[in-house]
Amino acid sequence: MALPLTYNFRNVLVRWRATLATILGIGLVVAVFVLVQALAVGLEKSASNTGDPRNIMIVRKGSTAESTSMVSLAQLQIIRYWEQIARNEAGVPLVSADVITLISQPRIDGRGEANVSVRGLTPVGMALRPQVKLISGRWFTPGKREVAVSQKMARRFAGFHVGDSFRTAGNTLTVVGEFDGSNSAFDSEVWMDADETRSLFDRQNYSSLLVRAASPQAGQEIVSRIEADKRLPLLAGPEVKYYGDQTATAMPIKILGNFLATAMSIGAVFAAMNTMYASVGSRTREIGTLRVLGFRRRTILAGFIIEGALLAAIGGVVGCLLALPLHGVSTGTMSFNSFSETVFEFRITPWLAAKGMIFAVVVGIIGSLLPAIRASRLPVITALKSV
Amino acid sequence: MTVSTFILKNALRNKRRALLSISSVAVSLFLLVTLQVALRELTLPPQSAGAELRVAVRNKISLTNPLPVRQRGVIEKIPGVEAVTPFTWFGGKYKGEEGMSFAQFAMDAEKLHSVFGEAKMNGDGYEKFNATKDACVLGKITADKYHLKVGDQITLDSTVYPGSLSFHIAGIYAGTPDDRNMLFRQDYLDESIGVPGYVGMWWLKVKSADDMAPVIKAINAAFQNTSAEVRAESERNFQLGFISMLGNIKTLIASISTVVVFTLVLVTASTMSMAVRERFRELAILKALGFRRRELFAFILAESFGLAVVGALLGIGGAYCLYTFGNIGKMTAGIFVSFEVTPRIMGVAALVAALLGIISAVAPSLSVARMSVVNGLKTLD
Repeated sequence: MALPLTYNFRNVLVRWRATLATILGIGLVVAVFVLVQALAVGLEKSASNTGDPRNIMIVRKGSTAESTSMVSLAQLQIIRYWEQIARNEAGVPLVSADVITLISQPRIDGRGEANVSVRGLTPVGMALRPQVKLISGRWFTPGKREVAVSQKMARRFAGFHVGDSFRTAGNTLTVVGEFDGSNSAFDSEVWMDADETRSLFDRQNYSSLLVRAASPQAGQEIVSRIEADKRLPLLAGPEVKYYGDQTATAMPIKILGNFLATAMSIGAVFAAMNTMYASVGSRTREIGTLRVLGFRRRTILAGFIIEGALLAAIGGVVGCLLALPLHGVSTGTMSFNSFSETVFEFRITPWLAAKGMIFAVVVGIIGSLLPAIRASRLPVITALKSV
Repeated sequence: MTVSTFILKNALRNKRRALLSISSVAVSLFLLVTLQVALRELTLPPQSAGAELRVAVRNKISLTNPLPVRQRGVIEKIPGVEAVTPFTWFGGKYKGEEGMSFAQFAMDAEKLHSVFGEAKMNGDGYEKFNATKDACVLGKITADKYHLKVGDQITLDSTVYPGSLSFHIAGIYAGTPDDRNMLFRQDYLDESIGVPGYVGMWWLKVKSADDMAPVIKAINAAFQNTSAEVRAESERNFQLGFISMLGNIKTLIASISTVVVFTLVLVTASTMSMAVRERFRELAILKALGFRRRELFAFILAESFGLAVVGALLGIGGAYCLYTFGNIGKMTAGIFVSFEVTPRIMGVAALVAALLGIISAVAPSLSVARMSVVNGLKTLD
């Protein structure tokens, strides 16, 4: 039983040219598969990275994005001093009333514009989002028309670096700092003072409230209290869940990924079949010899299938290695939820790499199945006679 | 035996391999065509009739910021403007569905025909839309999807405004590039949300193509330094603005296309080398008989070219048939409405196939050219 495996393994090495082409072919298919899936994973990851389990997010009932949500000043006043909401050392309730607005900004390469989310918030709001860290410059001063921009957005839009300024709503805003959102949804935002945002964009109302519950028990109470209060047509829920639900944008990318994987794998199966048929064809005599030596049909069948799988597995490794350099590279597209630019990273998780490998091996096995059956069915005498 | 039957016999001597090679070329070219069409659809949306006379006016801050109703009078007075209508995004969800499956806009009923005249409606759709406040007109694709007909009532939950609204279908239109949208009356929306004095954006029609540039300029200037500065642009530029928002998706599709082509060349070239290596001996005999190198090259080239062309015919033709006669809206879950395989894309794919046939023939031909007759005759493989 041991022989055919070493035999098959050596064959992979001996017929290196065809082998190399097959390996590379499968490798490229796996690389494309892994990369497109890595985009979807990155998008979902950025949603799931956002939010603190202690925070409760409050938006208008029926709205699907913060930018179309609305919370009035009166509603804020009702909620602000509830005892279920935690307070800081100074006794100020940890309530962040944010204003979200979209501004159309030119891209850094000068090719068109895209919507950018601007979040107006207070120091309390920043304290509720500790994953956002300043990396250069300083935070904006309340009362001034200053903004801090996510570093990832600064790389994508014109006039977003520290010291730059840009015009919107008839006013000039100066960029005073860049922050890093630790791969959360905040990486796609521009932050500025809440009241400045309201005056600049002429908003009476806030978009959403983020509150820190005093305890998990209090969190549930806030949710049910808002649900029960007829004056509040609002919807409350854990911040983590709110962002977790915002992954619809990943759908088209997943569809694209699955389509590509299907179409390319069909092509790859044909290519692998061709290689395996050729290698079975040129080894007819050797196969006959193996049979004379007493190896059984199914051993030879298994040997060839393993050879194909091995070939494909090497291709899978090559594919993952080809995809790896793009891990962590950030990219962006329009989110269908917020109608604004969302930045996210290619994320190649171990599970994704494993899926790529499984995919490769399946292609290899399907591709070598028919040639292997043919090899195992060769009549000994004819096989030996062939040149 | 003529030269052509010789080549044909050679190409088909191993039918299985010929079939596999043709299939892999076909699948890859099918994929290439699909990606190119997707890229074209994303970067160059379908042009609708009448687009060259339409202007979109949105808030300069971004499309999501509203515009005050008072702007209307100013715009209507600008010379060259034929008709103006508000156009307000409603963001309604149908029957408790998870997301929005079609777009709804509020506009002026009597301006529908003058601004978006290419919408064809049977019966008295236009009149009924004018006459009833809660009337709406619905694109044929959406109507078919939900089995709705004229006279039916539909209720939508808005994601933008509080509450929901009910409408009666006055007509079902077709003949626009995207027959999915629903249009209803701005006065009905205003009434239900308490006349806020704001609309989403303005759409207008100019009298002639020559009026386009001056009208756009005049509108942009008219609201400069006001509380709501605007961006007026042609329908075409407005659409291109959406495409710019898609960001790196374009680059992604373009890179995948490149990888597909590269993989294709790699695999086909390798198959061709295999096919030639198998008959090294025969080629040596041909050489011994006095055939010249360039004749041998011609044999190999013709064979690989032939395989590539047959593959191309199947792949490109298959894609053409599928996307021309298939229901693309259903296949892509509504992401694409039209999926037009243009002659240009087919031409590019055919060119890739032709180059593929030539490149794949080069490597084996070189090794055949280099081999000595004696060595060739000795080859067993």
